Amino acid sequence: MSIRFQNVSKTFGDTLVVDDLSLEIDDGEFVVLLGPSGCGKTTTLRMLAGLETVTSGDIYIQDERINDVQTQHRDLAMVFQSYALYPHMTIAENIAYPLRVRKLDKDERTKRVNQVARMLEIEPLLSRKPRQLSGGERQRVALARAIVREPRAYLMDEPLSNLDARLRVQMRGELKRLQHQLGTTTIYVTHDQAEAMTLATRVAVMSRGRLQQFDTPLTIYNRPANRFVAEFVGSPSMNFIEGKIENNIFVNGSIRLPVTKPNRDQITIGIRPEHIRVFTEPQDGAMPANVYVTELMGNETFVFLSVGNNRLIARAPADFRAELESLVWLQIESEKAHFFDPQTGLSI
Amino acid sequence: MSRALKYLLLFLSLVAALAPVYWMVTISLKSEVDHFASPPPWFSFTPTLEHYYEAFVTRSFAQYLVTSAIVAVISTLCALILGTLAAYALARFRLPYELDRKLSLWILSTRMFPAIVTAVPLFLMMRDLRLLDTKVSLIIVYTAFNLPFVVWMMRGFFDEVPRDLEEAALVDGDSRLGALVRVVLPLVAPGLAATAVFCLIVSWNEFLFALVLTQTDASMTLPVGIAGRVTQYEIKWGVMSAAGAVAIVPILVFAMAMQKYLVRGLSLGAVKG
Repeated sequence: MSIRFQNVSKTFGDTLVVDDLSLEIDDGEFVVLLGPSGCGKTTTLRMLAGLETVTSGDIYIQDERINDVQTQHRDLAMVFQSYALYPHMTIAENIAYPLRVRKLDKDERTKRVNQVARMLEIEPLLSRKPRQLSGGERQRVALARAIVREPRAYLMDEPLSNLDARLRVQMRGELKRLQHQLGTTTIYVTHDQAEAMTLATRVAVMSRGRLQQFDTPLTIYNRPANRFVAEFVGSPSMNFIEGKIENNIFVNGSIRLPVTKPNRDQITIGIRPEHIRVFTEPQDGAMPANVYVTELMGNETFVFLSVGNNRLIARAPADFRAELESLVWLQIESEKAHFFDPQTGLSI
Repeated sequence: MSRALKYLLLFLSLVAALAPVYWMVTISLKSEVDHFASPPPWFSFTPTLEHYYEAFVTRSFAQYLVTSAIVAVISTLCALILGTLAAYALARFRLPYELDRKLSLWILSTRMFPAIVTAVPLFLMMRDLRLLDTKVSLIIVYTAFNLPFVVWMMRGFFDEVPRDLEEAALVDGDSRLGALVRVVLPLVAPGLAATAVFCLIVSWNEFLFALVLTQTDASMTLPVGIAGRVTQYEIKWGVMSAAGAVAIVPILVFAMAMQKYLVRGLSLGAVKG
């Protein structure tokens, strides 16, 4: 089902948590709300679920205004960060709960529970209690409870954040397949940009209650709308250098980069780490820099550099070796640079 | 602390706790001649059930017992239902102007004055309502006096239940009341059991209001009935002891049945999970 937020705001006391949010989500989309903690993404999700009231604005599901519809009548399914499994019920009873409150008969309930359990490979756990399960297993049960019926949309609040790194990557893939298979609109809240990039058909980046950009993961990465999005998405983070443009040259101290932009007194240039190449020998058109520290990641090396007063991070091949404080040479692919207004942070 | 000292203290407290019970039970089984023998025959006396016969067959103690049971059970149920709902609301909903906090304190404040100051007003109210000398009057009063206790106990237990669980139940399609009954109450069941035991004991043993509000066998409870055997002509020690010994039994059985919940209930606030 399509979901629409129209000028939605939320205040807690004097604090504005969500500020004039407008968002249109198409049927079958997997939309990720991405942002640092406190950016209002979870509150947004909770307003959609009806667990928080809307201070102003309207929320629609398929053109039905749901502001005043009670949670239990919104027909949504939610996966909580804490999983929120009912501790006194067995796994089978947990999964069957949404069916039980809908008064489905027992045979149908058992059939549906078994079907979902098979799909998520948790059949052997059905007679156990939640406390006997590992984190990953609980996660699956929470998921099973959500998909056992056919809700209008799935809401997921950081469902993977309590899992260890390996399991998180595995479940991420399975979530994506599952959503593809079911084709149900999904809204997923996370602060993990890797989850956002891999799962989403579109990402809504939020900061301090405001929507920063709402677009496909690739566009978010390649054409960030502002400095916040550019900095938040991508790991390691984008490099920013303040400076000015004179006669198609970006200047900051010893850094000089050819650009095709009109003259400006103040500008921020953003360069992703993969667009900086590092050499141990002098190169044509390369500028000298000092190695601050190197981090070998296995398949690549992050090189932290200092150029004048600027700190830059570059991505180098795994076999790159350099001593601390040694002199290296940089080539910056300035044609791939991003430009931001230093005052507004907006992309230019 | 050394083992011996531990056992000595245990023994002393047991003696202190059980000596009156022992005395009551033996008096109830001794013939009247033995009651006043000096020194008292501690163990070697011919047991007799004559006092039990007099209390429960000749006199109306069986009826007092039934009245006590009805009043205690119904008032406990009423206090639990009303108090639990109130406690849930106070634990979960933030009311404007901090009303939730103020209401909680106000509810507690009704327990801050000695009960006896309400005896006369309650008597007059019950008289005007034509409820004097009825079980209903006792049920109402006991419910009212147990309510603050239930509210404060249950509020503490509800605070321990993660909100996520209820929210999950709501999103799953259940109503507030359904979520309370199906998800929250099973989780606070130990607390509910502990609270029920306390309410029941208080109502079962209550003397003051029963004395003020009841007059005849129709509504007299066991404590009042027992005390009534102290008259200006005689004190029926045997009958009183027999009735007292019987009065202990239901509470003892109930508390033992609830024991495993009682311990969990009382420590529920202390340890999470």
